[in-house]
Amino acid sequence: MAQISVCPYCGTGCQIVVPEKDEPFSVSGYKGSPVNNGKLCIKGYTGLNYSFSKERLTYPLFNENGNFIRISWEDAIELAANKLLKIREEFGPDSVAFQSSAKCTNEENYLMQKMARVFGTNNIDHCARSCHSPTALGLINTLGTGAATGSIKSLEGTNTFFIIGSNTTEQHPIIGSKIISEVKKGKKLIVADPRKIKLAELADIHMQFRPGTDVALLNSLMFVIVKEKLYDKEFIDSRTEGFNELREEVIKYDPIITSEITGVEPELVYEAARTYATNRPSAIFYAMGITQHIHGTENVMNVSNLALITGNLGKYGSGIFPLRGQNNVQGSSDMGALAEFYPGYIRWDSDKIEKFAKLWNSTLPKKKGLTLSEMFDKAADGEIKAIYLMGENPLITEANIARVEEGIDNLEFFIVQDIFMTLTAAKADLVLPAASSLEKEGTFTNTERRIQRIFPIYKPPGEAKPDWWIINKIGSRMNLWKEYSGPEEIFNEIREAIYNYSGATYENIYPVGKQWPINKENPDGTEILHTRSFPLGKGKLVPIKFNPPSESVDGEYDLIMTTGRNYFHWHSGTMTRLSQILEREAPEPYIEINSEDAYERKIRNGQLVNVKSRHGEIRIRAKVTNLVPKGIVFIPFHYKESRVNLLVGENLDPISKIPEFKVVAVKVMP
Amino acid sequence: MIYSLNAEEMAQLYERISKEFETYGTVDIQGDITFSRIESYDELRIGRSDKPPKEFLIGRNENVLVFTEPNKKAVFGVMSCDLKGFYIMDKQIYGKDPFYTARRDNTVFINYVCTEPCETGFCSSFGGPLLNDYQIQVINYENDKYLIYADDAYKSFFEGFKQASKEEISKVEKLMHNFNMKQKKHEVEGIENRIKWNSKLWDEYAKICIQCGACNYSCPTCYCFDLNDVGEERFREWDSCILAGFTKTSAGNPRESLASRLRQRFYHKFVYYKKSKGEYLCTGCNRCTDDCPVDIEIKEVIDHDYNNE
Amino acid sequence: MTTIMNSFKPHEKRIARKIKETTDIFTIEIDMESNSYPGQFYELSILGIGEAPISAASSSSEKLKFTIRSIGHVTSKIFEQDVIGVRGPYGNYWPFKEYDRILAIAGGIGIPPIRALIHELEGKKDLWVIYGARTPSDLVYKYEFDQWRNKANLILTVDRGDESWNGKVGLVTKYIPEIPDLKNMAAFLIGPPIMMENSVKDLLKYGLQPENIFLSLERRMECGFGVCGHCNVGHFYVCEDGPIFRYSEVSNLPELFL
Ligand SMILES: Cc1cc2nc3c(=O)[nH]c(=O)nc-3n(C[C@H](O)[C@H](O)[C@H](O)COP(=O)(O)OP(=O)(O)OC[C@H]3O[C@@H](n4cnc5c(N)ncnc54)[C@H](O)[C@@H]3O)c2cc1C
Ligand code: SF4
Ligand code: SF4
Ligand code: SF4
Ligand code: FES
Repeated sequence: MAQISVCPYCGTGCQIVVPEKDEPFSVSGYKGSPVNNGKLCIKGYTGLNYSFSKERLTYPLFNENGNFIRISWEDAIELAANKLLKIREEFGPDSVAFQSSAKCTNEENYLMQKMARVFGTNNIDHCARSCHSPTALGLINTLGTGAATGSIKSLEGTNTFFIIGSNTTEQHPIIGSKIISEVKKGKKLIVADPRKIKLAELADIHMQFRPGTDVALLNSLMFVIVKEKLYDKEFIDSRTEGFNELREEVIKYDPIITSEITGVEPELVYEAARTYATNRPSAIFYAMGITQHIHGTENVMNVSNLALITGNLGKYGSGIFPLRGQNNVQGSSDMGALAEFYPGYIRWDSDKIEKFAKLWNSTLPKKKGLTLSEMFDKAADGEIKAIYLMGENPLITEANIARVEEGIDNLEFFIVQDIFMTLTAAKADLVLPAASSLEKEGTFTNTERRIQRIFPIYKPPGEAKPDWWIINKIGSRMNLWKEYSGPEEIFNEIREAIYNYSGATYENIYPVGKQWPINKENPDGTEILHTRSFPLGKGKLVPIKFNPPSESVDGEYDLIMTTGRNYFHWHSGTMTRLSQILEREAPEPYIEINSEDAYERKIRNGQLVNVKSRHGEIRIRAKVTNLVPKGIVFIPFHYKESRVNLLVGENLDPISKIPEFKVVAVKVMP
Repeated sequence: MIYSLNAEEMAQLYERISKEFETYGTVDIQGDITFSRIESYDELRIGRSDKPPKEFLIGRNENVLVFTEPNKKAVFGVMSCDLKGFYIMDKQIYGKDPFYTARRDNTVFINYVCTEPCETGFCSSFGGPLLNDYQIQVINYENDKYLIYADDAYKSFFEGFKQASKEEISKVEKLMHNFNMKQKKHEVEGIENRIKWNSKLWDEYAKICIQCGACNYSCPTCYCFDLNDVGEERFREWDSCILAGFTKTSAGNPRESLASRLRQRFYHKFVYYKKSKGEYLCTGCNRCTDDCPVDIEIKEVIDHDYNNE
Repeated sequence: MTTIMNSFKPHEKRIARKIKETTDIFTIEIDMESNSYPGQFYELSILGIGEAPISAASSSSEKLKFTIRSIGHVTSKIFEQDVIGVRGPYGNYWPFKEYDRILAIAGGIGIPPIRALIHELEGKKDLWVIYGARTPSDLVYKYEFDQWRNKANLILTVDRGDESWNGKVGLVTKYIPEIPDLKNMAAFLIGPPIMMENSVKDLLKYGLQPENIFLSLERRMECGFGVCGHCNVGHFYVCEDGPIFRYSEVSNLPELFL
């Protein structure tokens, strides 16, 4: 019989109905789902082939001088455990780093971070670092919870949609389509994006601002709101603190002045500010366009400022929606697979972590953990000796790949657990074959905090095993815990670890998931956060000063490059590029360049060009288009043939350590 | 031949068929009606299936280099609008696609006719759910009463069952007549002459369509597929004419714009197929609209006043 | 039980001969007799890479030949193969039997089915051929031109000449007026869309009847036998209703020329 599962791609977390093997195979959307109501995007429909690919890893492999030889699970687990223990003995626990994955389940992420911490280190991190760590940090700072404040369904109550730095119809298509449906009914749409994205075409107001000037733009919007007193006085008085300080900062950002920085006409700013502040409830959507900056965390806090002063929080239809990339970024962050957070966003240096010492029956590490890019950095320096990496492909997705590669090459022992022999896996000493999301049990938490279940509908190929099974075995072999019986037992421990998950059971989140906090006070989950108060008590308004991005153009590097995804592919492409239809639609890497810029450089559509930054150079086909404005170019990052991240430098947000993927000065040569 | 059965006999009919055929049917997955292997008649849940049974004949993803004689399958619970889709696409692909043809010949679809209009379908605009072409057609017209139209090829399954009386038949005919009266009509006839190449609809749709492909994948009459090699295999994969790559060639793309591709889909349904095969490539199931995340409505394409835009 | 022929499955055939025509075009001869008429096409494939529809370049009495421009996954790999997958022939052919006087116009890589025609007719009919290429080095079958001249009236032209070139320069349309008594001829066109579009315009101007003009259309193709749906133009499927169309039957199709 068919089963319900969750699409493995974006954070929307659409529920799918998947027939059993040997039945005519075709995926459809689950009509009973409050997330997607039976609808799917092209990745959901055609993107699942990867699970049946003949290229799947099927046996544990050991790298013997460059040759991978098949070994037994018994030996693989023994080897992994022994090596890690030996390195700990010799160099201490902080010489080992663990990398978790937002593609894996909550149970697996929980177990991975537990492994790191019980092993004795806070060196645990995952790709949320390169997409949404500023969200967790920023919103926890201002509101107390780093997550979307409403539900997808609640958008039916929204009157103004404000999209900033999210190409929603391509990255979160089903949420994008929800917005389109609402806009068709006459709701207002404001889009702030350097590119002419699809939603911009439907927008009432499109502010095409320069990459990296988000703070200035948001401050100028607040300038108008403050100047024209469009703010929600009652809300500010009763629910927030710090308004005066914020006011003092934003009044410096007259749209006439900021237009020099942002390139946005003052009239547009006025209109947008008025619409957002008065045509309420209003909801803000953002994604990597806000976070992947050296000011990523500040950007997020500024988004929060805007929502707070207009009272657009805590009400049905209003809110802040950080759109999560991977289908389980929310969950993997909730689980504490981050250097600075234990499960439930408890800081590594707070007293509250005592609870985990008890729960895990273990002492806890005292040192601050390394973040993703720091891990590779320290590996290159020789401080990190071993990395256990699950389900990621940093050789494509990380910034400054050259340094990552150097780090990996310098490791004493490198374990990669994946479903494919990725570029990264090919460098491992030990490769562990994992099960796909159609082959294992567990839960994912989508971008609206909804915890949803997945099931082992198919048998994994060969000897591939679910990630939780592998971590479970290695952990118990290292004596970190007594072997768990299965995902449900792990989930039940998560319920003890995270109060916001405590009320969820495998039974009550099926077939339809529930949104956390789900606990004694909210037994049915929580659709809208912060209706009466913030976890912090009052919402903090934090004045943010505009500072220019880390890179700017000069005579030589005269164009600003921003990177991102396209509709048809997913991250490093390991999964989507196995769907022949998706691959046909977007078969090769390209750089979008404005027709005027192209003309000046004598570049024809379809021509191969060299793109050079201060950090590297790649060769890529030009797509001459007016989707990007003059002065700005765009490259998707899915392609191993020309890895755009070779161009991205080492500039990190000092707070969240996210690399600045979105602003890189480049030159483009025919 | 027309038979009259009660519920118990229906179960017997299933038993008889299951001796010769692998049985499939619509089942309830947490409220979704979907096709699945079934082992007993009790498992069958009649209702509007979430997708057409297209994959029984055209693999969603299959290696076309290896042809194996298909098992004989019986699929219970197929709705009329879905079944009709096969008779329509037969005209283009039956006899040519070896997989489709062999499966078509080896599959019996047991069609359960709706007696009440569903929420969104508009099959009566195409003649209603009682079909002229069928293998076994079941109308559960009263609680325990089933009228069955069966092609003579399946006569043996009905041995010993009662033939339907005149009254029973006229009761059902009346019921179906009422069905057709109840459902809102959309003037499909002549749409091929009314529809306009330069209608503003296509641009409006292009602004919102997110190219999900649902309108193709969910459609019981869309049969297009792509061929691609993966290792030693050559895969057929369902395709979508909404995607630009569908027509891209080295010399250029005849349908570069999304608007032209959306138009193509409706033109194929309402103009081209009618011209080449004498029938509309649509059964009025409305799935393309129900599954469209941005609510592009096929009924609007039919009802739109092209002359006065 | 009847065994059904799997029409998707190609026959593995040996490539008997390979000729490099230009930097990116080559000809292969397959170890099998042609069983197609000029204008029909085959699906050629390399397992693991894919298939490509390619017109027969050979007449019905020759060994099967193809001339291929390497532009993508499949076409760029064929030259290296010893064995390739072949299925076909598909589609219709030039209606050469119906006409005594024929003007064939080929642009670029459109020439193979016209070569097939020249060899099919063997000089038995009044055949005129205008063949245009971008530059002299883009012309294929140079080694056969002398032989062709015995079978047809051949006009060669290039868009841009070079030192070695002392032939005609200019678009194919420039030389249409040189053909005597055009009005009563049939015209067979194949080449880039823009070339065909302009040629049709001119031919009509010179008085050819729309029902005597034939176009070979190129569309994306997958199956070749009318089931995959990729090749449609209007209510036609190019693979089974074409690739050759009578202009009078397609002239009002809006997507005729890309
Ligand atoms: C009836 C017909 C006869 C042809 N005869 C010849 C011939 O004699 N000689 C010759 O050199 N070429 C011929 N072509 C063109 C040839 O089919 C394409 O160049 C070839 O399919 C490209 O395949 P590829 O795998 O090498 O390219 P790909 O790597 O698949 O793609 C390269 C480019 O070709 C386009 N393309 C891909 N598949 C097809 C397809 N099936 N049909 C058309 N374009 C496609 C792609 O969109 C892309 O722009 C003919 C085409 C048709 C339809
Ligand atoms: S919107 Fe996201 S979750 Fe939904 S089908 Fe598409 S990729 Fe999957
Ligand atoms: S076009 Fe739409 S209404 Fe018509 S058969 Fe297809 S899915 Fe049903
Ligand atoms: S279902 Fe709707 S959104 Fe999806 S491709 Fe079709 S028209 Fe576009
Ligand atoms: S190529 Fe498949 S239908 Fe024409």
